[in-house]
Amino acid sequence: MRIGERRLDDPEAHTVTRPSVLWLLPLALLAVPLVTNDYTQYIVNLTLVYVLVGIGFNVVVGNLGQLAFANAAFYGIGAYTAAILLYHYKMPLLLAIAGAGVVGGLAGTLVALPALRGIRSFYLAILTLAFGELMRWVYINADAWTLGSMGMHVPRPVLFGYVLASEKQKFYLFLVIVTLLVAATANLLRSKVGRAFTAIRDNELAAAAMGIPTARYTILAFAWSGLVVGTAGALYAVLVRQVSPEAFGLLELILHFGIVVIGGLANIAGSVLGAVVLTLAPELLRDLPGYEELLIACLMIAILLVLPGGLITVLDRLRLTLLFRERYHRA
Amino acid sequence: MLGQLVVSGVAQGALYALVALAMTVVYRATTVVNFGQGDFVMAGAFVVYVLVVLAGTPFIAAGALSIALLCAFGWAVYRGLIRPILAGPHLALAMMAVAIGYALRGVARLLWGREVLPFPRVLPQGSFTVGSTVVSASDVVVTGGVVVTVLALSLVFYATALGKTAQAVFQSERGAALVGIDVAAFQGTMWAVAAGMGAIAGILIAPITLLYPDLAAATLIRGFAAMTLGGFGSFLGAAVGGVLLGVGELFVGAYLSSRLIEITSYLIIILVLLIRPSGLFGKKIAVRV
Repeated sequence: MRIGERRLDDPEAHTVTRPSVLWLLPLALLAVPLVTNDYTQYIVNLTLVYVLVGIGFNVVVGNLGQLAFANAAFYGIGAYTAAILLYHYKMPLLLAIAGAGVVGGLAGTLVALPALRGIRSFYLAILTLAFGELMRWVYINADAWTLGSMGMHVPRPVLFGYVLASEKQKFYLFLVIVTLLVAATANLLRSKVGRAFTAIRDNELAAAAMGIPTARYTILAFAWSGLVVGTAGALYAVLVRQVSPEAFGLLELILHFGIVVIGGLANIAGSVLGAVVLTLAPELLRDLPGYEELLIACLMIAILLVLPGGLITVLDRLRLTLLFRERYHRA
Repeated sequence: MLGQLVVSGVAQGALYALVALAMTVVYRATTVVNFGQGDFVMAGAFVVYVLVVLAGTPFIAAGALSIALLCAFGWAVYRGLIRPILAGPHLALAMMAVAIGYALRGVARLLWGREVLPFPRVLPQGSFTVGSTVVSASDVVVTGGVVVTVLALSLVFYATALGKTAQAVFQSERGAALVGIDVAAFQGTMWAVAAGMGAIAGILIAPITLLYPDLAAATLIRGFAAMTLGGFGSFLGAAVGGVLLGVGELFVGAYLSSRLIEITSYLIIILVLLIRPSGLFGKKIAVRV
């Protein structure tokens, strides 16, 4: 294998983002509001939300290697939980976001429980797909809580008595939460747990033979994924201040797939890159129905055919060329 | 009432069966679950719509052209996009199928925007009564069309050399290649057949449901429900599962609540996979580790 080339089934594809990058990048981002207006800042905030979506989704799809189609459901569950806690129960903002994360994690656990009965691969995919569509029905029909298909309005976010009125104010809150969760996920994947995920992805039978309790780790991966994506949903609710059932359907799910596949599977930096590309592109194409779908679909097809490691491999190669060092292979 | 529900349910279910059968063909030939089958269905209906409504082609010719076009498309998809990554992980194949379907939907939306189109009434009108049950002519045509397709498939898969080829490739691709079977040609043919079946389903479904790019999603999930209920990889299971789903949906609507029709298929998928993952006629699928 050439240096810098990754394949979907390559055990080394699980790269570890260096801690320095993890903390230096957010620090640099602190300066972003200096150069944005309210609209561009909104796009930046949305990108942060999708970074979290990508990171959370990647745990299950990239690292655990399971076909999971419930990600839009986790996202929607998080958004609705936060909206309900803020709207009906007038909870403090941080508590509502944390609540959304917890409920998202529970949803992840629930979806993965069939793994205990040996449901994997395509069967898990179909099961999670059905779960996601079922949730959309719940949003519409549990109208005492969700206000039905019209969707619900999320109150103005207030943090410690301080109203987050502008996009720039929301940005700092988002940046802190996203940084913490990305760092936590990176640590988790670097630990014994992350290695167990990789072992299960590459050969579940062998992993089990080596004493890894595969069902338990499968559930753990889904739970963590649900927590991260649920939190992303809560941030989305706070950002857009409007949640409605059609925002969490199959189109949203395919966007999530696009983020992880185009950015790079099992790669934290890849998820970030995918989120950036797929938040900006639709924003540029939003007035042209159909183009957004075509762009995402063609990018996905091209990546799957010629660049299985995602766009991030291009950056990696570029970096290697620049550094002129073979730092790529890590133990 | 009961007889009426069964008759209408069978006609509805026959369409689900057709979608499930097409996915089973692809699954048996290439062990790929085609998440884009719903979009093949949508595409088939759109081609007919364009030909009949915009170009004024007679319906029979438009239908035949649409089926031929989709067959060619299915074959091209297999050769160009599926075959190159067939040795890779399931994950990539599923994503590829999703992406292909999404691209088709994008093209449809590009041309039609977000409108819902009334599909021309191409099936025969009129109805007749058997006892107290009203049977519409279009129900008969739809059900008949699906029965013929199923019979043809069974004949091909169980009574011809092609069926033996299918069996061999399904069991071991390498083994089949070693005894001289052109695996790529066979699999390409099967993708073409499945896409053609998608076109047939689209032509039959669209007059009932209206036509819109997102038709694909509802179709796909009902096809999955039929497949899951009947048992993955079983032709008989796909057919029976589809019919049971169609009848079941109408019963749920009539005796429980019409709000539950939409989620019948989701609940069937979830319950079957939890209670009896092999479905009615499938082989054991659970991974014991």
